[in-house]
Amino acid sequence: MSRKKLLVIVGILGLGLAAVSFVGGSVGAIITGREPLSVFRVASPHVELAAGKPFPGFPVTNTMIAAWVTVLVLLVLFFIATRRMKLVPSGLQNLVEFLCETASGFMEDIAGKENERRFFPVVLTIFLFVLLNAWIGLIPGFETIRVNGVPLLRSANTDINVPLMLALVAVTAVEYWGFRARKVSYLKTFLDFGEMGQGFVQLLRGRIETGLGGILRGIIAAFVGVLEILSHLVRVVSFTFRLFGNMMAGVILTGVMIFIVPLVIPSVFYGLEAFLGLVQALIFGGLTLVFGYAAVTAAEQ
Amino acid sequence: MGIGLDLATFIGQLVSFLILLGLLTYFGYKPVRRMLEERSNRIRESMEQADATRKEYERAETEAERRINRAREEARLIVVEAGKFRDKLMEEARSEARQETHAIIDRTRAELEQERREIADELRREFADAAVLAAGKIIGESLDREKHRKLIEQALDESAFSRELEGH
Repeated sequence: MSRKKLLVIVGILGLGLAAVSFVGGSVGAIITGREPLSVFRVASPHVELAAGKPFPGFPVTNTMIAAWVTVLVLLVLFFIATRRMKLVPSGLQNLVEFLCETASGFMEDIAGKENERRFFPVVLTIFLFVLLNAWIGLIPGFETIRVNGVPLLRSANTDINVPLMLALVAVTAVEYWGFRARKVSYLKTFLDFGEMGQGFVQLLRGRIETGLGGILRGIIAAFVGVLEILSHLVRVVSFTFRLFGNMMAGVILTGVMIFIVPLVIPSVFYGLEAFLGLVQALIFGGLTLVFGYAAVTAAEQ
Repeated sequence: MGIGLDLATFIGQLVSFLILLGLLTYFGYKPVRRMLEERSNRIRESMEQADATRKEYERAETEAERRINRAREEARLIVVEAGKFRDKLMEEARSEARQETHAIIDRTRAELEQERREIADELRREFADAAVLAAGKIIGESLDREKHRKLIEQALDESAFSRELEGH
């Protein structure tokens, strides 16, 4: 009972704070015609798709610095966790083992034990990189600490180059796995002229009907191959813009919410963003895994 | 300003990602996976070992039970044997004792008989002497002891006294 009461009190207080910050903030100021209270004055959000370069003259972007932070965090985490591995794990070793085991189980369920070994490093690294990029972007200071008028740090996922880079890595890995597993038969999914050739052979032997039929089917097969090539190229685009769009939208949404209601409500969106980051990381890693599995298994239905 | 595509940034990000991928693969995932594998092997081994131990224990238990049963059976047989032996011994002892007793009784009886006979003879002689003496006194002359003894003994034999001495 008292727990419930406490929850209600906290809820009311939160809503009150939100209401006060809304009325006292920039939007409230426009409605009431007053100046916004100084504590609630938030710079109006302005969307900047390209990553900024905080140090003029240096080609290092703020997203690159953020990516380095992500890389460093991951490396340090794994370094500390695997420095003195014990058979009975403790501390960070538990965390890392949990990560690896969960990921490994997930991949094994989808792609089987054989493929899991091959897919594991790329898929898990993509997942961790995307996840940490998203979560690190939620730390206060990102987007707000400015050097030379440019944010010093910005979530790497919101830089189109990063999703594009990840997409290319993922698709390249998928094509590599497919080719390694199936060699020439994998290339046949894209360039299938076997039937057309058979058709021409039949035609030369004088069997005009079967020959023409073969050529016709060959043309269809070749066209299917072209479609396959296109679909694989489209994967790069969809990978890129799914991640970029979601992350950018998250940043913009949070910025707008902070501008409208400076208190309480943005916290909810922060939680949402954290969840969204996890989902996007799962989607990126999961799709890489599924495409990879589709590539290594024969496509015949 | 556009969407921000930039070759330098792209390459920079690619390089940092590939470094991350390489380092994590060789210094992160590999030891962790090796450890996980080792642990699962260890657990499987110890479980198999426990299983083997349990089986061994069960086997030993049945073996012990079998042995105990055999020992019990043996003990029972020994007890039965011992009982028989005891019976035999007692029987032997009893018959020996009986024989001994009989022997003692017989011997004693023979000795008694001998004794009685001697006493009877003694008495008879003394009685005869006394009779001869008495008769001599009465007649006034000394009777010839040897001569008359026969006579007296004959008379004694015929008397009840002698018969009493003879018959027991």
